[in-house]
Amino acid sequence: MTSKRPFTYTTDAVVLRISNLGEADRIVTLIAPVHGLIRGVAKSARKPNSKLGGHLDLFRHVIVSIRETRSLHGLSQVSTVNGFRGLRDNLQRFSHAAYVSELSERFSVESGANRPLFQLLINVLESLETTTNQEMVVRFFEMRLLQLNGFAPELSKCVETGVELEPNNHFYSPDRGGLIHNNYQSSGEAAVLPASLNTIKLLRFLSKTDITQAGNLKAKESDIRQLSRILREQIHHVLDRRLRSEPFMDEVRTRHNSNQISK
Amino acid sequence: MPSSNIARSAAPPIARLIEAFHRLPGIGPKSAQRLTYHLIRMPEEEANEFASAILGVKEKIVLCNICANISEGEECAICSDLQRDQTRICVVEEPLDVIAIERANVYSGQYHVLHGIISPVNGIGPKDLKLRELISRLQNGNVEEIIIATSPNLEGDATAMYIQKLIGPSGISITRLARGLPSGSDIEYADDSTLAHALESRTEIPQSPSDQSD
Ligand SMILES: [Zn+2]
Repeated sequence: MTSKRPFTYTTDAVVLRISNLGEADRIVTLIAPVHGLIRGVAKSARKPNSKLGGHLDLFRHVIVSIRETRSLHGLSQVSTVNGFRGLRDNLQRFSHAAYVSELSERFSVESGANRPLFQLLINVLESLETTTNQEMVVRFFEMRLLQLNGFAPELSKCVETGVELEPNNHFYSPDRGGLIHNNYQSSGEAAVLPASLNTIKLLRFLSKTDITQAGNLKAKESDIRQLSRILREQIHHVLDRRLRSEPFMDEVRTRHNSNQISK
Repeated sequence: MPSSNIARSAAPPIARLIEAFHRLPGIGPKSAQRLTYHLIRMPEEEANEFASAILGVKEKIVLCNICANISEGEECAICSDLQRDQTRICVVEEPLDVIAIERANVYSGQYHVLHGIISPVNGIGPKDLKLRELISRLQNGNVEEIIIATSPNLEGDATAMYIQKLIGPSGISITRLARGLPSGSDIEYADDSTLAHALESRTEIPQSPSDQSD
C-alpha cells in the first residue's frame, strides 16, 4: 500500500464510447460537466454478474465514482440517472445519438469543464428519444455546438464585404464561417455552398431558438438538405475531419426514407 | 502506442519483441517486458516451436467459406457436420462466442460469425461485418430461424435491429437471445434496462408434481 491516497470523486457523466480491454474489462469514455472527457477502466464490466456493465452502456446518463490515476482512471459505483430507453429500440434514433455523442467527444478535452455542452447533450438525447423531428433536433445540436465553441455562423452580414444581406438567396462559406453575398465571385480556392432564402431563415431560427421549438420546425426537404450540408461542412471545417458515425447515420436515413416512399 | 522507457533503452531485437507483445490485447508494458525476458531465457528448441505455432496459425487458419468462423479448411467442422440442424443459424459477433455457446452444449444448429458489431462511434458500419455472406446463405430456402446472439448492449441491439430490417422481409423467423438477470446476481444492483428486459421476458413457474398431488 502506498501512502499517497489517490483522488476520488463522484460525478454525473454520459457514456460516449466503449472498447474492450484485456479479458473482461472495458475502457469507457465519459463526458462530465466539470471534468470534461474522462477515460477510465471498468474492471470486469463484461462479466455477466458485473455491477458496472449494465449501467456503463452507450449514451447513458450515469453517476459514477472516479479514482484518478496518471493514465486510465478507475470507474466504480455506477448508477443510472437516465438510460434513454427510447434510443434503444429504434435504429434511426440510435444513429443520431451516436452522431451527437461523437460530436460531443470531438468538441471536448480532458479536464476541460463544459457544463453547457454537457447539458445540451442531455437535452438532445432526451429529445431524440421521442421527437418526431429527429433531423431538426440534430441540426439544432450542431448549431448550438458551434455557438458554444465560438464558431457561431455569421448569418446577417456578408463575411466577405461586411454588407448587411438583403432577403434573397446567397452562399455560405464554411472557410469564412458565414454567409456570402450572392454577387460574390468565387476565386476558386474556397468552396461556397448554396443557401436559399428559406435555408437562411432556418439557420437564423436555429441560432436563436430552443430545442422544443426546433423540434416543431417544419421545412421543405430540399431546404433541410441544404441546411444539413451547411452545418455539417462547417463542423468538418472546424474539426478538420469528418465524423466516424456519419456514414451509418446517412445509410439509416436513406433506408428509412426509401421505406417511407415504398409504403 | 509509444514504446515504454525500458523498450527504448533495450537492445533493438529485444525492444522489437517488447513492442510486439505490447500490441496484443490486454498486455501492458510491464507484462510485455516479462514475456520478452521469459522468451530470452527459453531453450532455442522451445522458442522455435513457439514461433512456428504463430506462423502456423497465420498459414493454416482461414475463415470458413460458409459461416466465417475460423477454420482449418474451406469449410469449418460445424458447417461440414451434416448431423447438425440445418434450419437454424445463430449469429454471433466473434469466433470466441461460438466456442462459448458450443461449450454450453444446448445448441446444435449452424453459426454465422459477423466479426464485429455495428459501432458508429468507432466507425464500424454494416459493410464491415459479414452480413452479405449471411444474406447469401438464406437464398437456398432451408433456413427457418435466425437466432441473433449479439451482446446484450446498445450496439448489440442496434446490430440485431439492422439484421432484422435486412432479413425481415424474407419471412424467416428472427429471434434474439433472452436477457435478464444473470444467475447469482442481486436485483438491487441491476440497471433499469436489465430489469425491464427481465420483467418483459418473465416466465410462469410450472407447478411441481408434489403441489398437484395435494
Ligand atoms: Zn463454417
